[in-house]
Amino acid sequence: MTNAALTANHLDKTYGEGTTEVHAVRAVDLEVQPGEVVLIMGPSGSGKTTLLSMLGAMLRPSSGQILVGGADITAIPESRLPKLRATTFGFVFQDFNLLGPLTAVENVEFALNLAGVTGHQARTRAGGLLTDLGLGDRLSFRPDKLSGGEKQRVAIARALANQPPVILADEPTANLDSKIGREIARFLRRIATEEKRAVVIVSHDTRLRDVADRILWLEDGAFRDLQTMSTDPVCGMSVDPQGAPHLQIDGGTVYFCSNGCRDEYALAGAGRHAAPAPQGNMR
Amino acid sequence: MLFTDRRRALLGVAGVVIALVMALTLDGIFAGTTRQVSRYIDTSPADVFVSQEGVRTIHMAISVVPVAVADEIRQLPGVDWAEPILFSSDALRTPGGRRPSYVIGYEPGGQGGPQTLVEGRDPDAGEMVIDDSAATALDIVVGDQVEVLGAAWTVSGLTTGMTSIVNTSVYVTFDDLATVLGSPGVASYILIGTEGDPGAVANSIEAAIPGVESQTRTRFSAEERSVVREMSTDLLNIMSLAALLVGLAVIGLVLYATVLSRLREIGVMKALGLGRIGVSRLVLIQAMWTVMTAFVLAVAATFGIGAIVAAVAPDIDVVVETGSLLRAGIGSIIVAAVGVILPVIRVWRVDPATVFRRPS
Repeated sequence: MTNAALTANHLDKTYGEGTTEVHAVRAVDLEVQPGEVVLIMGPSGSGKTTLLSMLGAMLRPSSGQILVGGADITAIPESRLPKLRATTFGFVFQDFNLLGPLTAVENVEFALNLAGVTGHQARTRAGGLLTDLGLGDRLSFRPDKLSGGEKQRVAIARALANQPPVILADEPTANLDSKIGREIARFLRRIATEEKRAVVIVSHDTRLRDVADRILWLEDGAFRDLQTMSTDPVCGMSVDPQGAPHLQIDGGTVYFCSNGCRDEYALAGAGRHAAPAPQGNMR
Repeated sequence: MLFTDRRRALLGVAGVVIALVMALTLDGIFAGTTRQVSRYIDTSPADVFVSQEGVRTIHMAISVVPVAVADEIRQLPGVDWAEPILFSSDALRTPGGRRPSYVIGYEPGGQGGPQTLVEGRDPDAGEMVIDDSAATALDIVVGDQVEVLGAAWTVSGLTTGMTSIVNTSVYVTFDDLATVLGSPGVASYILIGTEGDPGAVANSIEAAIPGVESQTRTRFSAEERSVVREMSTDLLNIMSLAALLVGLAVIGLVLYATVLSRLREIGVMKALGLGRIGVSRLVLIQAMWTVMTAFVLAVAATFGIGAIVAAVAPDIDVVVETGSLLRAGIGSIIVAAVGVILPVIRVWRVDPATVFRRPS
């Protein structure tokens, strides 16, 4: 019996069939403990969003199991998934995805209402969460009156409203400047450490490495060993050397995420070297 | 929450208001016209109307009763007075135009003529009383010549309240009309004033005199309105249906457009845990809010239109009846319920995973 907050076993997702078949996620195994922050990185089209959708009970896997608190959510009927999402997961999105017509406190209340908490109790809890996140003076502001960082804090408050065991964050810092991005990263770390929630972050943002307990590299729908990865010296992205665009420079090989980065590097001239591979480990 | 765009909300409400006002006003004009049709009966001092057996209305009927029946009726207990009238219809022709008209022949000074004279006097031979509204419309004054049933008549007086959107009424002497119609010794109806219960008198007339139909004023009036309604029901239903379809199209299109513009937020709500019932309720509430707001505004607007019409065109009576309001209210609810079907199907299809896609 595992104590993991979230477990994925041999998760597979295939779109289409025959010649149009696309294998978006291949036999992914993942285990996230309460209080742990797992950062999933990878190039665009690697299957990160598909994986996050499946982990968040928004997309059925083609095969495999997803266990939350020991219960297999892939076996739950479609009609019960909305309630499961409301109570089990907290979502943080790149674009914040706050409901425009509602104020900050109403956005958080909305999530509480979905879990059955209503009225004064919901209003009090929503207000308390936002105040804890430093938004006590912004409760009645609509999203269009909030800054990017404030919006993301409202989104985090909404994600925490129903005290879910798992927080799923999709590029939570992508639309924020570096200072606010680091602040949001620290929030997510604090949530995991202090409230013992499992936090899964999908991101390209290397700044989030600082707050992650583990970094996983997803490419072509499968996790790769980060120890074997190289770093694109132009954009800083981790790159699997196998089949990646590369240049031979000073007797060494520099790997790039794309031909564009390679060409840019070549145009800028020699004198630069590939950075060391990022640190991390696989389950 | 769907209607944060006020312009879109107003557009939806306005569209439904127009449809409902159309339905309510048409219904109101029809109800007003129906009432006007029975105005001769409703304003008559007679408590009981006797006609040929099997004839229960004035409109769309020909009744022939011997004038002598009036004498027999006068002998019956409970009868105060009995007076024959003749009834026909034709166009009132004048140099200024023509107007469909009921022609009523009565004994001047009796009970069957106009209840009010606003100008002039009761007709003598070769004269007639016409309605003041028709007189104004046809540019006729007392003393002018008009033509009805192929004969020329001089206007001796003006009555009021007997012109509707459909026709008017003119009054001539019983003898003149009998001559013009070539039917001496017969009447169309016998008007009866009673001293007791009109229902009992009506029954006693039918029991005592064979070959006649005897009805109280209330029943005769109801029969008259009923025959007019029956004649126009299909037309009215088509007009009401058209209005409801306009309302349905407006509410359906506005809701669908609103839903399309809010797909991302609906996706967010579904991702956060709002189920199919929840999103359906959201759309339905917006639809109900729209039609109920529109209904209240449409009722107010219809009363306003009725007041304006009464001031501008007194011949047109817009009567908003409770039944009409009920029909419009129920129709609105049906429109809302049907109008949400496509939008609800669309929101059901929204994939909650769209929240992970970047907005374009």
